[in-house]
Amino acid sequence: MLSRVADNLYWMARHIERAEGMSRMIQVRQGLALEYAHNEEQLELFWEPLLKALCAEWACESGEPAGRVVRNLIFSEAASGSIFSSISLARENARMVRDQLSEELWVELNNAYLFFRSGEAEDLYRQGSHQLLEKVIRFSLVFQGLSDAAIPHTEGWRFLSLGKYLERADLTCRMLNTLNLPAKRPTRADLMSVLRGCVALSAYREKFHGNLSLRNVAGFLLFSKSFPRSVRFCLEHTDRNLHAISEVPAGNFSNEAERLTGAALARVNFTDLDNVLEKGLGEILLELQSTLTKIGQEVFETYVLLPSEIKSLEKRLLVERQEQASQQQ
Amino acid sequence: MNTSAQLLEYAVEGFFDEMFVEDGGLRARPHYQMIHDRLNRLTQEEIMERRQQADSSFLERGITFTVYGEEGGTERIFPFDLIPRVIPESEWRVVESGLKQRIIALNLFLNDVYHEGKIIKDGVVPEEVVRSSRHFRPDMSGFSVPREVYLHVCGTDLIRDDQGNYLVLEDNARCPSGASYLLENREIMKRAFPQTFGGMSVRPVEAYPDLLLRALEYLAPRDSQKPVCVLLSPGVYNSAYFEHTFLARQMGIEIVEGKDLICLDSRIFMRTTRGLVQVDVIYRRLDDDFLDPSFFRKDSLLGVPGLMNAYLSGNVSLANAVGTGVADDKVTYAYVPDMIRYYLNEDAILQNVPTYLCWRDADRSHVLENLEKLVVKAANESGGYGMLIGSDSTSEQRENFARLIRANPREYVAQPIVSLSRHPTFCQEGICGRHVDLRPFVLYGEDVEIVPGGLTRVALRQGSLVVNSSQGGGSKDTWVLKDF
Repeated sequence: MLSRVADNLYWMARHIERAEGMSRMIQVRQGLALEYAHNEEQLELFWEPLLKALCAEWACESGEPAGRVVRNLIFSEAASGSIFSSISLARENARMVRDQLSEELWVELNNAYLFFRSGEAEDLYRQGSHQLLEKVIRFSLVFQGLSDAAIPHTEGWRFLSLGKYLERADLTCRMLNTLNLPAKRPTRADLMSVLRGCVALSAYREKFHGNLSLRNVAGFLLFSKSFPRSVRFCLEHTDRNLHAISEVPAGNFSNEAERLTGAALARVNFTDLDNVLEKGLGEILLELQSTLTKIGQEVFETYVLLPSEIKSLEKRLLVERQEQASQQQ
Repeated sequence: MNTSAQLLEYAVEGFFDEMFVEDGGLRARPHYQMIHDRLNRLTQEEIMERRQQADSSFLERGITFTVYGEEGGTERIFPFDLIPRVIPESEWRVVESGLKQRIIALNLFLNDVYHEGKIIKDGVVPEEVVRSSRHFRPDMSGFSVPREVYLHVCGTDLIRDDQGNYLVLEDNARCPSGASYLLENREIMKRAFPQTFGGMSVRPVEAYPDLLLRALEYLAPRDSQKPVCVLLSPGVYNSAYFEHTFLARQMGIEIVEGKDLICLDSRIFMRTTRGLVQVDVIYRRLDDDFLDPSFFRKDSLLGVPGLMNAYLSGNVSLANAVGTGVADDKVTYAYVPDMIRYYLNEDAILQNVPTYLCWRDADRSHVLENLEKLVVKAANESGGYGMLIGSDSTSEQRENFARLIRANPREYVAQPIVSLSRHPTFCQEGICGRHVDLRPFVLYGEDVEIVPGGLTRVALRQGSLVVNSSQGGGSKDTWVLKDF
C-alpha cells in the first residue's frame, strides 16, 4: 500500500476519535459546571484543568469570558483540536484516499463536515450544546461501525485501527490527567466526570459496585484488560495491529514503533497500582503519553517517511555504481 | 408525448444526420434500423427509469468531474445521452486505418524534430513553426525515447461535414482524457438496452485498460521482472481525478501523486508501507511543465524533483514522452497531411479541416477580413477555451480576437465553420438533432491499437458546436457494428 494512503487512513481515524473524545469531555464538564461553577471566576477555575490536559488553553484566551470556552472548543476553525477542525481534517484525509474508502463511509464523513460548514451545527448549538455533541458522538460511532463492517480488514484497515487506538489511549490519559491536581484531592464529581467522559460509568459500577475512589478509577482506566478505552486495552490493540502490518510475530519487533509499544504494554501489564499511586498518577501518565507520541512518530517514520530505507538504498546504489565503474575500467 | 410521436416531429434541417436520411420522408439508415425500432417502442416511463439508472450508476462509480470556480469544487456527472451513435464496420475500417496512419506519421515527426530534423531541412515544415511551438522541448533533442515511441495515447477528435466525410479536427497528443467515459458508457448501455445491444453485434471496447497496460509495460527499461507501472495524477483537486482512479483500478496499478515518488541516483521509487519500490513506467496525467520542479516550472508542487534526470538516463519511461505537445499544436496540425506524404509516401486517409495559419501574411489578412465566417482557435489551448466561433460572436469579441491575432499571429489559426453532423438526442423538448464529434483513443505500443469507436461527445445546447465537457457537452456510447 502507498505510504500516503496509509498515512491518510491513520490520521482520518485519529481525527474522528479526537472529535468524539472532545465531545464527551465537553458534555461531561458542562454538566458539572452547571452544578459547581456559579460565576465567571469559578467557571474559569473549573475549566482550567481540562483545558490544560487537552493542551487547549487557546479556547479560553485572556479577556474572553469563560462562557465562550465550549463554543470555542466546538467551532474554532483556527485551532487544531476543536471538534470542527478535527472533522474537517478527517474529511480532508478521506478526500485524499476516497477511492480506497467505501462510499457509505465517505458520505457519512462528508455529511458531518457539511453539517458544520452549512451552519446547521450552529443552529443546533443555539438550541442546546448537548444535542450537537450527541450528534458528533453518534457520527463517530457510525463511522467506526462502518469501518469495521464495510471495508476489508486488510492493511488499510489496520492503519485505521492504529490511529483509533493510539488516539483513544491518549484521550484516556488526558482524562485521567484532570484528576492529577497538585493541591487538591479529586472530588467525587471529578471522578464521576472522568468515568463518564470515558463511557466507563456502567462498566465501572459493575466491577466495583459503586465504590468510587481514585485508586479504583485510575486502576480501571489504566489497567483493565477488557474495557475498550483503558490504556492497556488500547496498547494491546495497537500492538496487534502493528504486528499484523509488519507480519512479524507478536513478542518480537522489527521497528521502533513495535518495540516501544511492546515495552509500554509490558509496563502496564506488570505495574503495581499502589506503586503508581505512591509516586503520583502524574508520573505514569506523563510517561505513557510521551510513549504514545513517540509510537505515532515512529509509525510515521517506518511506514511513510522511510528515512532509514532511503539511506540504505542510497548506499546500495552507490556501491552498485562504483562496482560498475570499476568494471568499465 | 411518447418517443414515436417525438420521432415524427424530428427534423434533419439540412445537416448531415447520423441516424436519418431525408428523401421525401424521414428514413433511418440501415445500421440504425434496430435502434429506430426500439425508440419507437420506448415509453416515457422507460426513458425516465433508464436515465435514472444511468445517472446513479455514474455517481456510484465516481465517474464525475470537478467544476472549477465553485467552493471546494463541485463534482458533477458528465451528462449522458441514451441514444447510441452507430458506425458500420466498413466505415470504421477506413477511419481506423486513417488514425493509424496519422499516429505513425506524428510519431515519426516527433522522432525527427528531436533528432536530425530532416523534415525541416527538406523544407516541408518550417523550422520556425517547430521552434516557436510552446510545447517544443529543446531538452529532448538527441534523446532516444524507449522503443522510439513518443505518443502512446493519442485522442484524435473527428467530425463529419455536411456530406458525412470524416475530418480530423485536432490531435490531443499530451494527456487526452475521456477513456473512462467510453468504458462506463458501454456498461450503462448494456444494462439499459440489453436486447437491442445483443441483437446488433456491437464490437466490444472492454480491452482498453489491458491494451493500455500492455503499451505501458512495453516501455519498461528493466526486463528482469514484471514491470512496475504507475499512473501519476496531479491529485484529488484535478478535474479528471476520477478518470485517473478509474483507469488505475482497471489496470490494477497504483495511482500516485508526485509526493509518493522519490528520485534516488537517477531512479524513481515509490514510497509504500513495504518500503521503496522502483518504478519502471509512469503513465503521467500531468503536463510536461509540472513533471519536475527542478527542471521545468520551479513553482510546481505536483511533480517529482529529479524525474527528468531519471527519464533522460533511461531508468524510467514516461507515457506520453516529454515534448509531444509540439504535435498537438494547431499550427503543426496543418502540416500533418504533408508529414504523411513525407514519411509514409501515402495520401492522408482522413482529411484535415482547411486551416489558415495567421503567421502567414496572406492567411492573416484573409482571416481578419472574414472573422464572421471562421472559427479562430488559439494554437495551444484545449478544452474549448480560447476559441471564437465567428458566426456566433459579437463585434466586440471579434475585435478582441483581431487584436490578439495581430499581437501574436503564431498563436492563432482559423478554419471555415464546418457544419458538424447531428445526432438524435434526448432533450427537454423531445428528441432533437444535436451536433456530435468522435474521440477515438489510439494506443501505440508494440502495435497501434484502437478500441472500436471512441467517445462520442454531443453539444447539448441547441445549435452549439462546442462539445467539451467544460462547455456544456455530454456524451453517448459509440457502437461499431460487425455486420455492416
